[in-house]
Amino acid sequence: MASSQPFSSVPPRPRPGFSLSPNPTPSSTADALQNLQIGRVPPPSAAPSAAAGPFSSPASRPGPPPPAATLSRPGPPPFASGHPTTSGLPTTSASITSNGPPAFGLGAPRFPPPPPAVQQPPPMGAPASIRAPPQALVSRPFPGSSPSVALPSSQPFMGPPPSSQPYMNPLPSSQPFMGPPSSRPFAGPPSSQPFAGPPSSQPFGAPPSSQPFGAPPSSRPSGGPPSSQTSGGPPSSQPFVGPPSSQPFAGRPSSQPFMGTTTPFRGTLASSSPFGTPSWQLQTQQGAPPMPGTMQAPPRMFGMPPHMPGQPMAPVPPVTGHSPLAGHQVSTPSKIDPNQIPRPVPNTSVVLFETRQGNQANIPPPATSDFIVKDNGNCSPRLMRCTMNQIPCTGDLLSTSSMPLALMIQPFALPHPSEEPIQVVDFGESGPLRCSRCKGYINPFMRFVDQGRHFICNLCGFTNETPRDYYCNLGPDGRRHDADERPELCGGTVEFVATKEYMVRDPMPAVFFFIIDVSMNAIQTGATAAACTAINQALVDLPEGPRTLVGIATFDSSIHFYNIKQASQQPLMLIVPDVQDVYTPLHTDLIVQLSECRQNLEQLLDSIPNMFENNRVADSAFGAAIKAAFLAMKPTGGKLLVFQSVLPSIGIGSLSSREAEGRTNVSSGDKEAHKLLQPADKTLKTMAIEFAEYQVCVDIFLTTQTFVDIASISVVPRTTGGQVYYYYPFSVLSDPAKLYNDLRWNISRPQGFEAVMRVRCSQGLQVQEYSGNFCKRIPSDIDLPAIDCDKTIMVTFKHDDKFQEGSECAFQCALLYTTVYGQRRIRIINLSLPCTSMLSNLFRSADLDTQFTCFLKQAANGIPASPLFQVREQTTNLCINILHSYRKFCATVSSSGQLILPEALKLLPLYTLALVKSIGLRNDGWLDDRSYWVSRSASLSILLAVPLVYPRMISIHDLASKEDDGSLLSATIPLSSEHINDDGIYLLENGEDGLFYVGNMVNPDTLQQLFGVSSVDGVPTQLVLQQFDNDLSKKLIDVVNETRRQRCSYLRLRLCRKGDPSALFFLSYMVEDKTPGGLSYVEFLVHVHRQIQTKMA
Amino acid sequence: MAEDLAGGVAGAAASVDPDGPDGVRMTWNAWPRSKVEASKCVIPVAASIAPIRASPSLLVLPYAPLRCKPPCAAVLNPFARVDFAAKIWICPLCFSRNHFPPHYAAISETNVPGELYPQCTTVEYAPPPIDAAAAAIPPPVFLFVLDTCLIEEELGFVKSAMRRAIGLLPDHALVGLVTFGTQVYLYELGFSDLSKIYVFRGTKEISKEQILDQLGLSAAGLRPGTAGASGYPKARLQANGLLPSGSVNRFLLPASDCEYALNALLDELQTDQWPVEAGNRALRCTGVALSVAAGLLGACIPGTGARIIALVGGPCTEGPGMIVSKDLSEPVRSHKDLDKDAASHFHKAVKFYDNLAKQLVNQGHVLDLFASALDQVGVAEMKVVVERTGGLVVLAESFGHSVFKDSFKRIFEDGEQSLGLSFNGTLEINCSKDIKIQGVIGPCTSLEKKGALCADTIIGQGNTTSWRMCGLDRSTCLTAFFDISPSERSSQPGSTNPQLYIQFLTNYQNPEGQMRLRVTTVTRRWVDGSANTEELVEGFDQETAAVVLARYISLKMEMEEEFDATRWLDRSLIRLCSRFGDYRKDDPASFTLHPNFSIFPQFMFNLRRSQFVQVFNNSPDETAYFRMLLNRESVTNSVVMIQPSLLSYSFNSPPAPALLDVASISADRILLLDTYFSVVIFHGMTIAQWRNMGYQNQPEHQAFAQLLQAPQDDAQMIIRDRFPVPRLVICDQHGSQARFLLAKLNPSATYNSAHEVAPGSDIIFTDDVSLQVFYEHLQRLAVQS
Repeated sequence: MASSQPFSSVPPRPRPGFSLSPNPTPSSTADALQNLQIGRVPPPSAAPSAAAGPFSSPASRPGPPPPAATLSRPGPPPFASGHPTTSGLPTTSASITSNGPPAFGLGAPRFPPPPPAVQQPPPMGAPASIRAPPQALVSRPFPGSSPSVALPSSQPFMGPPPSSQPYMNPLPSSQPFMGPPSSRPFAGPPSSQPFAGPPSSQPFGAPPSSQPFGAPPSSRPSGGPPSSQTSGGPPSSQPFVGPPSSQPFAGRPSSQPFMGTTTPFRGTLASSSPFGTPSWQLQTQQGAPPMPGTMQAPPRMFGMPPHMPGQPMAPVPPVTGHSPLAGHQVSTPSKIDPNQIPRPVPNTSVVLFETRQGNQANIPPPATSDFIVKDNGNCSPRLMRCTMNQIPCTGDLLSTSSMPLALMIQPFALPHPSEEPIQVVDFGESGPLRCSRCKGYINPFMRFVDQGRHFICNLCGFTNETPRDYYCNLGPDGRRHDADERPELCGGTVEFVATKEYMVRDPMPAVFFFIIDVSMNAIQTGATAAACTAINQALVDLPEGPRTLVGIATFDSSIHFYNIKQASQQPLMLIVPDVQDVYTPLHTDLIVQLSECRQNLEQLLDSIPNMFENNRVADSAFGAAIKAAFLAMKPTGGKLLVFQSVLPSIGIGSLSSREAEGRTNVSSGDKEAHKLLQPADKTLKTMAIEFAEYQVCVDIFLTTQTFVDIASISVVPRTTGGQVYYYYPFSVLSDPAKLYNDLRWNISRPQGFEAVMRVRCSQGLQVQEYSGNFCKRIPSDIDLPAIDCDKTIMVTFKHDDKFQEGSECAFQCALLYTTVYGQRRIRIINLSLPCTSMLSNLFRSADLDTQFTCFLKQAANGIPASPLFQVREQTTNLCINILHSYRKFCATVSSSGQLILPEALKLLPLYTLALVKSIGLRNDGWLDDRSYWVSRSASLSILLAVPLVYPRMISIHDLASKEDDGSLLSATIPLSSEHINDDGIYLLENGEDGLFYVGNMVNPDTLQQLFGVSSVDGVPTQLVLQQFDNDLSKKLIDVVNETRRQRCSYLRLRLCRKGDPSALFFLSYMVEDKTPGGLSYVEFLVHVHRQIQTKMA
Repeated sequence: MAEDLAGGVAGAAASVDPDGPDGVRMTWNAWPRSKVEASKCVIPVAASIAPIRASPSLLVLPYAPLRCKPPCAAVLNPFARVDFAAKIWICPLCFSRNHFPPHYAAISETNVPGELYPQCTTVEYAPPPIDAAAAAIPPPVFLFVLDTCLIEEELGFVKSAMRRAIGLLPDHALVGLVTFGTQVYLYELGFSDLSKIYVFRGTKEISKEQILDQLGLSAAGLRPGTAGASGYPKARLQANGLLPSGSVNRFLLPASDCEYALNALLDELQTDQWPVEAGNRALRCTGVALSVAAGLLGACIPGTGARIIALVGGPCTEGPGMIVSKDLSEPVRSHKDLDKDAASHFHKAVKFYDNLAKQLVNQGHVLDLFASALDQVGVAEMKVVVERTGGLVVLAESFGHSVFKDSFKRIFEDGEQSLGLSFNGTLEINCSKDIKIQGVIGPCTSLEKKGALCADTIIGQGNTTSWRMCGLDRSTCLTAFFDISPSERSSQPGSTNPQLYIQFLTNYQNPEGQMRLRVTTVTRRWVDGSANTEELVEGFDQETAAVVLARYISLKMEMEEEFDATRWLDRSLIRLCSRFGDYRKDDPASFTLHPNFSIFPQFMFNLRRSQFVQVFNNSPDETAYFRMLLNRESVTNSVVMIQPSLLSYSFNSPPAPALLDVASISADRILLLDTYFSVVIFHGMTIAQWRNMGYQNQPEHQAFAQLLQAPQDDAQMIIRDRFPVPRLVICDQHGSQARFLLAKLNPSATYNSAHEVAPGSDIIFTDDVSLQVFYEHLQRLAVQS
C-alpha cells in the first residue's frame, strides 16, 4: 500500500507489519479508527419534534427569567468567593446580571462592552434578544408569563421556522427537562407578580442582600454576589424563583440528572436505530480530518522545543533546570497571577524524535504531543517510557529525589503513520540469540568484543560466545559491520519469530465468544438489543480466515448456549440451568469458524431480543455464565466479551447490593467505606486466575442503569488482560453507537493472545512490581491472555546495586505472544538510559507525563486499600516531597518565599490537584463510578492518563472563526469556571466522556447550527450529534472525530446546560475551582508551598 | 396344528383357557386347613393372578360397587348369601350382614344385579365419574429417553424406530423427549423460535427439587398431593382436569403439535459428541437422564399415568446409577462378582434406582426399558425400577434387531395387537380370615397398607393388603403367597365353612383412560386333617406349582446369600414325592406318582437346568431380564420358560409335540422349539440339504415346501402374540446356531453314552445328568425311609 495514503486520510493507521503478520490489519485498524467518527445519525424520533419548532418550547427557552441568573450561580460561587482576584473578567458577571433585569427595560445600560479579555467576539445575539423584551412587552399576549418567554423579537435569530405558536403549544411531555421549569411561566409568579408594573416591581428581582441591579457590574465580585447563593435557598423571598424545581443543583449527586433524562426516551429509540450501518459509512467520509501538518510542515527536531529553549540535549546544560515561575512570589497568595500559573500548553506541531543521537539517549517529547519516532537504538517512547530519562546511580539518590522509578510499557501502542514499522526477524530453527546467563535477547547494546567472537550482555554483563553463524567482524568503531543491516542490532524494538521452543502448544486460534445478558432489565432497557446489534455489525470486522472462531451465549438465571453450526438447519439453544455448578453443554459446535456460521449467527443475533422479549426473569447469573463460557473455551482460550446489564444476583459469584450498605457507611463516615471498593469475595478472583491459566481474556460491557458492583466484577477483566466498558446510565438513544464502536475497536485493534511478558534490566536494578491488567503466577513473568494497543503495564524498579556514572542502564521488555493470525512472536523493546549521580540531572530529565501516570496508578491501587483521605494525602505528599527535594537540593534561588518548580515537572501540582479532585478520589463519587475509575486507571496509557483527570476543554461556539489548520483542538481552555461564559458552548473531553456545556445566553443561531435546535432545553442530555450543513457544525464534527481518533474511543457525548443538574457534572471537572471539598489551583500552590516551607524549616 | 396338541403348553392363545374366566390359578385348589399340613405340602399355597386379563365374557357394570362394612370392605359377589326378603346380604369373607342400599330396593330372586350372577365371579365396575374433572380423560403420555452414545448405525435404527413410533402415536398423546450421553438434554418442544434444550450434567446427582428449580417448574409444578401416596388421588383429579398448563406445554406436547418438531430433531440428532478416549467406554449418564425424566413428569403431570420409555444402548458409566467405570479394562460385573460382592458399583446403583422407583411409584409413572447392546447395560440394577413401576422391559442385541424393533412398535399399536397398556393400578386382596397374605411377587409395589390379613412372614412385596401397579397390561400377572394360620376356634372341625374365599380388587385406568374396578372373587375348598391326601392331590396344579416355585426360588436367590438353589429344589422335590408318591418304602421300583404330579419332576429337572437357576451361563442383565418376565407372565407362558415346548414336523406324521430330548433330533425332521425368549426352527440334516438344493421350489415337491413352511407359520403365530417379541433362530443340524436347541434338550445321549446313537440323531457334549438319571435318583431318595 502507498505509504503516503494512510495519513492523508486517517493518521494513526498502523503501518504494514505492525500487525505482526504478512497480511497486516492496517485497513481494518484504519477502518476501526475511522469508525470512531461520528456520522450523520438519523435523528431520533424525539429530536425532530424539538427541531421542528424551536418555539414549541417557549416555556423552556426562558431559561433566563430573572431567577435564572441566580440559578446559574451555584457553579461559580464557590470559587468566586474564595478568589476575588479573578474579578478581572467582568464579562461573566455582566452577562449573568444581564439575564434578569433586561426584562424590565433596564437591559441596555446593563451591557458593558465585552472586555478584551474574552477572545471570542461578543455574542451579539444574546444581548439583542434580551434587549428586545421591552418592546415585546407591549405586544405580549400573556402578561402573566415570565419575561423571557416574550421574545418574539428574537425570532429573527432563531432561524427558519418563525414559530407562530409559541404560547399555544402545550408543552410536549416528551421533553425531559421541561418538567420542572415548565411550571414556571404559569405558576405562582404571574399572578403574584404581574408584569404590569415594570420598573416598580424591581424590588422583587433584587436579591435579599438588596444589592441593586443598578450597581455597576465592576463593583461586583466576579463570582457573582454571594447573595445569589442564598437566593437559591429561600425561594419565597424571590417570587420568580418560586418553583422549587428551579434549583436543580441542590445537593444532588451529579450523576443523577443523567439518570433521569434517559427515561423519557426509552420508548422512542428502538425504531430509530441511531447507529444504522449506512450512516457509518457516510461518516467515515465526512470525518476524515487531514492530519495536522503531517507532511506540509517539515517536522522539527525535538531538540528545540519552543518552550524549552534553554534545554538542548547538550551534555552540560548551561541553564539550571528549574524555572521559577514568573511572578511566583507566593509569599502572599494574592500575588499569584492566575494567568501565569503553569498550565498545559498544547503543542500543535509535529516533531521528529530520534531516540538516540551520538550514542546518547534523547529525552523524548511529552507523551501528549505529536511526534514521529525514528528508532535508532532505543525504543519508541510510545512503547516504553521511563519516569526519568536518566537513571540515578544509587538507590539513595533515587529516594532523595522522591521520584518514582518506573516504566510505562504499552507494547502495542499505535505508531505514528509515518514511522517505520517494527522489523520482524527470523532466526530460523535456532531461535533468537540470547544471553546464556540471563536469557536477555540480543539488542543494540550488547557489546561485541574479541573481533566479534564474543558479546557482552548489557543486562547481566556475562560474556557469551557468538554462535558461528552469527559471527561478523567488527569495524574500527567497535561495531559489527552488519550492525546497520540487522534490525536486532540497530533498532530499539524488534520482533522475533518464535520457534517451537516458545510454544507449549500450537498457536491458538482467534476465538471470540460473546455472552449477553437477557434478563428482564437488560431486555427492557434495550441493552440486549443494543448488544446484539453491535455484535452483528462488528462481525465483519473480525479477522478473516479459518482461524477466527466465534461462539455466543445468553443468560438470565440460566445460561443459554447456541449451536450455530451451519450444518444444522435450526440453531439449537442449549440451556445450562445449574448456575451453582456449571458445565458446558456440548463438546463441539459451540465455538465454530466464523465463515461456517456467519449466516446463522446473524439470524440468531437478530432474533435474540425478540426471543426474550417477554422474559420476566430478573436474575442474572453473570458468574456462572462466564464460567460456563470459559469451560467451552477452555481447549483454545480466547476473548470472552460479556454484555452485562444488572447486578449479578444468582449462581456462582453472585453479588449483593452493597451500594445501600455503602451509602449508610459514607454518611456515617465509616472508615471501612473503602472496603466497598474491594471485591466482595474471592470467588471471581479465583475464577479469573483459572481463566488466565487457559488464556481466556474477559472484556465486560456494562450497559446498566443500576449499581452492578464494578469493584467485584472488574477483577475478572483485570486478571485476564481485559477491560471494563461502562455505560451508565445506559441510554438506548445514544449509547448503542458507542457500544458498537467500542466493540468494534476491541476486536479489530492490534492485539495479541496468550502472551507472557518479562522485563529485564541491567544489574543494579531489579523489578519491584508489575501493575496492570494481567495475571501473575510466577514472580518474574506476567501472563496476559490478551494484550492490545490500549493496554499499558507499569513496572517499578528498585536498586540492588550501584551504577557507574556515565554507564548506561538498560531495560528490555520481552513479550511472547500469538498474533490474531496464529503466528507466535517475541516482541523485544529496548531502552538504554544514562546513569547519573546528579540530582539536578534527574529533575531535568524527569518525565512529567510518565510520573503522573505512575502517581495515578498508585493512587488507583490505593483507593480500595485505604481510606480516601489517606490516599489524597499520600498523593499530595508525593508531589510535595518531590518539589521539596528539588527546592532543597537543586534550586539556586534562595528566597524562601518563592515556590520553585522544576521545569520538567512544573505541571505536577496542577495534575496532582486534578487527581485529588478526580472521580476516584473525591468524596462524593458514586461507588460504581469510582470502581470504574480505579479499574480504568489500572491499564490506562500515558496518553489517556492526563486527560482522565485533567480533561481537555475547548470552546465550540467560536470554532468557525478559528483557523482550520488542524489545530482546532489545541486552543484549550484552563479548567476553571472563570473561563466559562454564558454565551459560550464548550466541549470537555477526558478520553471517555465528551461534555457539551451550553451557557444560558448562547446565540440560538449557534445552537441551530450545531444541534439543529434553537434551544437546548428540550434536548436530552444523552446527546446524539449530527452534522448539519454549515461550517460550524462541520468543524464540530471534525473536532469530535479528531478527538475520537486521538483517544481511540468513541466519546459518550452528553449535553450539560447551564442552570440544569447536568451542569454540575460538567462543573465538577473544573478542577482549578475551589470546591467544598478542595482547594483552588492557586490555593493549592499556596498549600504546597507552605508544606515545603515547613519541611525546609 | 397347535390346537390339536396335548399338554396345552404350546398355544395358550388358541387352546382352551387354562386360567379360567377369573385368571386365577393356584398351586393347590384344595387347601390344607392347618399350618402343619400346609408345610407338609412342600409347595407353597399361592395364586397366580392376571388382574386385568382380557376376557370376552367380562361383565361391565356401570355403577359403583357395593361394599361390606369396614374393615372388610369386600365387594358384593356371587358367593354372598342374599336374603331377598330382608334386603340383606352376608359377606362370605367376614360373615357380616349388610343391608342393601335404597337403590337396590328392586332386588329379588328373579331380579338380581350382575355381580350376583353365579358365573360372574369376575366383574368390572365402571362407575360414572364423580365430577367433570374426573371425567376428563387424560391423554396418554410418552416421555422418550434416548441414548446417544451409540455408533452411527445404531442411532439410525433408534431414529427409524422413533419415527415409526411417532407415526403411530394418537394425536392427543403428550410427547416429551430427553436424550443423553455424557450429558442429559431435555427438549423444550413448546418453544417455537428455535430448538431449546435444557442440559444437565451427567456426573452430578440432582434432586427432584433441583431439577424443577432449574427447569423453572418449581412454582407451578409442585402439588401437595405428590408428596405421599395418601394425597395421590387428589393430585390425580387436579391433573386430570386442569393440567398445570405452563409446565406441561413447555416440555410435553400433543403429538399432533410436535410431530414436525420431533422429526426435525430426530433428523439432526447426532451421536454424543463428547470425546471417548481410547481404551475407555463412552461416558453415559443413564441415571441422571432417568431422574430428569422422572422429575419432569413429577412436575408436569403427577398422578396421571405416563410412561418413560428409555432406549439404552450401553452401560451407565457416569454419575448416579453407574454400573461400571469408563475404563475398558474394568469389565462389567458378572454373577461371579455379585456373588463375591466384588461389583463395586452394584449396590450404590441399586439404591439409586430404588429411590427412583419410589419417586415414580409416588407419581404413578412407569419406566419402560429397551436395552439393546452386546454388552450389559445395567438391567440388573434397573430391574427394581422397571418391576416396581410395572414397566415393560426388552433386552436385545441391537436396535436394528427385530426383538427390539417389533416389540417397540407393539407399544404404540392399537386394536388386536394392542398390549392394553393401563395405568395407575392398585390391587387389594381380601380373604377369609384363616388366611394371611405373605406377599406378592411381580410387577408391583407394596402400598404398606398393613392389616389383620398380613402374615408374619414376608415373600416379595409384603406386609400389606394393597399394591400399586403404575403400569399394567392384559398379560400382567402377579403371584400372591398365602399363609394358613387358623385361629383356635376355627380349627375345630365341623364348626366352620368348608369353603374359603379370596377377593381380588383391581382399580386401574384402562387404555382409554377410564377408571375401572375389576373384582374377582374365588372360592376353594378346605381340606381337613392329614388323612385326606387324596383331596389335596386332586387339587394340585403342577404347572402353577412349577411356575410359583420358579418365581419363589428366583426371589430367594436374589435375596438370600449363599442360597443353594439346586439343592433346595432337589430336597423340595424329594419331600413332595415322599409325601404324595405311591411307593413301598425303600423300593424305588415301586414308586409312582398321581397324574396330577406326573410331569412335576420333569419341570423341576428343567428348572434346575434353566437360566433361572443356572445363572452362571448368563450375565446378570440377562438373568434380571428373564426373571422379570418370569414374574410378570402368565402361568402358561412361564411354564414354557421353564420347560420349552418342542414340536416335530416330518413327512410321515402331522406336526406333533416331541420329547424335549436329544433323541428327538432326526435328519429328516424339522423341530420347532419355543423357549419363550427365542423360537428356534431346526432343520434336520437331510431337510437342510434338500432345502439347499432348492427342492421346495420345484412344483413336484410342493409337499416339501409345505413342510418347510409349516414351522415358519407356527413360529410367526407364537411371535405375533408375544411381548417382548422372541428372537427367531433358524438353524440346521450341526450348524453353529443349533446350540440354541441343544442347550435345552435333555442330554439322553452324550459323548459318553454307552449305547449307540441312532443314525441322523445327535449327541450333546455335556456332563449334565439326563432326565432318566434324575428320575432314578429321585425315586431312590423319595422312597428312603
